[in-house]
Amino acid sequence: MRKFLNGPWVLLMPTLIILTCVVLLPLLLSLWTSFTPFKLTKPDTLYRFVGFRNYERLIGDFDFWIAFGRTVLFLAIALNLELVFGLGIALLINKITYGQRTLRTLMMFPMMFSPILVGFQWKYIFNDNIGLMNNFLREFGVIQPIPWLVDGILANISIMAAEIWSSTSVFAILLLAGLLGIPKDPIEAAKVDGCNSWQVFKNITLPFLMPFVFIAMTIRSLDVARAYDIVQMMTGGGPAKRTELLWTLISRTGYVDAKMGMANAMSYISIFLSIAFTFFFFYKLVEARQRLSYE
Amino acid sequence: MVLFQLKQKLNYGEIFSGVTLRVKLIGGGQYEGLYNEVIPWWEENTGGKIEIVTQKNHFELDKEIKKDIASGNLDFCVASNHTSFASQYGNIYTDLNNIMPASVLADYTPLILEHSTVDGRLVQMPRHSDVSNLYYQKSLYEDADNKANFKAKYGYDLTPPETWDQVKDQAIFFSNPPDFYGTQYVGKEEAIAGRFYELVIANGGALFDEDYRPIFNSPAGVEALQWFIDLYNAKAVPDGVLNYLWDDTGLGFASGTIAMNLDWAGWAGFFNDPENSKVAGDIGLVRAPMGSGGLRTGWSGSHSFSMTESCPDKEAAASFLWALTSNKAQMIEARGGLSPTRPAIWDAIIAEKKAEGDEFMLMVFETFKMSLAEDAFTPPLIPEWIEFTNALYPELQAAILGDKSPEDALATASKKATEIMEDAGYF
Repeated sequence: MRKFLNGPWVLLMPTLIILTCVVLLPLLLSLWTSFTPFKLTKPDTLYRFVGFRNYERLIGDFDFWIAFGRTVLFLAIALNLELVFGLGIALLINKITYGQRTLRTLMMFPMMFSPILVGFQWKYIFNDNIGLMNNFLREFGVIQPIPWLVDGILANISIMAAEIWSSTSVFAILLLAGLLGIPKDPIEAAKVDGCNSWQVFKNITLPFLMPFVFIAMTIRSLDVARAYDIVQMMTGGGPAKRTELLWTLISRTGYVDAKMGMANAMSYISIFLSIAFTFFFFYKLVEARQRLSYE
Repeated sequence: MVLFQLKQKLNYGEIFSGVTLRVKLIGGGQYEGLYNEVIPWWEENTGGKIEIVTQKNHFELDKEIKKDIASGNLDFCVASNHTSFASQYGNIYTDLNNIMPASVLADYTPLILEHSTVDGRLVQMPRHSDVSNLYYQKSLYEDADNKANFKAKYGYDLTPPETWDQVKDQAIFFSNPPDFYGTQYVGKEEAIAGRFYELVIANGGALFDEDYRPIFNSPAGVEALQWFIDLYNAKAVPDGVLNYLWDDTGLGFASGTIAMNLDWAGWAGFFNDPENSKVAGDIGLVRAPMGSGGLRTGWSGSHSFSMTESCPDKEAAASFLWALTSNKAQMIEARGGLSPTRPAIWDAIIAEKKAEGDEFMLMVFETFKMSLAEDAFTPPLIPEWIEFTNALYPELQAAILGDKSPEDALATASKKATEIMEDAGYF
């Protein structure tokens, strides 16, 4: 006992207690509810164990898997486009010698808006009747309004545009930090040896940046669920489930239908999606760092 | 008996000195005027205090209260409620039959009190009722060219519609997209599910049988859904209509780009206000048209207030409920166009508008009074209503957008509804 009290466990104990209360217990509780028919409006249902019934229903639920697939696609496209645009912005800002601080601040403006406001703003932009986009197009002779938030493909593109606008600066900031940390010597040496700008970027800048890219990807893949507010404001997952993502489906099931047991079962399945994305990006991060140290 | 005391001692004050009532209220422009007048009035006359814990739209409030129930954290006394929502909340609200004297309850319309009752318990004091009637731009119907062209095309006179088929004909006739549309409808969530429901009823159908088995996948149901589809395909409604909710349709009609608009009385004043509306002074109103079953649509409900069972100051809460739904309160809301739940206020507001010579609001009140008396019906007052509408509306949207046939969409919705009702133990 004395050994225990003098050991590192005592020092770790406050952290362990806090983590248990704040993270572990809520996780275990939500895991338990996924094995119950728990309804928010019927608290007694929390104690009725139904085994894997919620999971069995979800396995056969076509709508759920369509939303799952759409979420994977949304994540893959949005994150990659954010990376491309973020990298472009970071490279451009890195080249600027005057006013870089001001531009960096301006670049972060979209991050300062709450996702709900972003959703409202882009809903207005893409409104078929009074929206800025259709009025703008009308100036160029496109008389028939485009139903941006109704058509299946256009609605998803519209939501993605809002999400990319809102979050590209996260990538840009992280990649700019990476660019500022790249040693100048290899770049100057390459230029002396006759490399052109593309060769310098491909063979020196990008390998140095890759760890930052995967860190940014990991952070954003976990953080992207905040796009829920944007989707909810713009389309609510509709019409006809054309923009339904896991987040809108889970939220409606849990809070509007009050079926929190089922919503938590959906969440636990979707956690595998997050783990898969995180694992992939960490794997690529380690690979990129190893490659960098070999070179 | 506290209510009698309140009525009698209203000017004596201090009967609830030291009491603070925590309340959760529906927010938004059309709802908050009442609080600004009634809360200071109640506080001044009773010595009590009101602490508004939450003020948000009803759907957000609904989510919050469900979370409160799950966490057992019902630390408020009074909350906004609605007849369509009330049955979800189990027994968290007090039976007001045991608290409000019968003589006080006698001031309210009996049918509305019946709708405010869940499992035999009166859990709501009704604030105002809503039902929808058809607003239209009068000048369109007075135009000689319109009259002649319509008659030539459809073979009958252009007059404000009496049936939903006529609404369809006229909406298509008036439409000139993208500048002008014949009509519009709320296109998602409970809103479109409710509109579909009332049209099924008007067509002579029903959503459920006596055991709550879904029966809306029927000729009446298909006909109702086809009405939405036809208008959408004919571009007689805006393309984005499936994302519309109540504010969108109200503001749309006020923008002057919509010929006919089925909406509640709460918009009437706004529509006829030249500062807000391009159709002010040019508005006609008729009772909601009839479906093929010879019935008028009349999806109806009442906003209300409830008192929690856990409230420590039930007497004060009862007096506050009374104040919020009193003659004074209902007159305030009626002047804004809202439909009162006390018969006496109907008479008073109609007399007031007559005296003022306000022909428009007089027409509004007389139309809505008749509609509430003769056409109104509630949705099934069951806890599963919202969950059911969430299963139904994506299928309605899929049919409207052409992703599915009406029969397929209703078959899928019916299957999901059956599962919901089975899970709830109806059969």
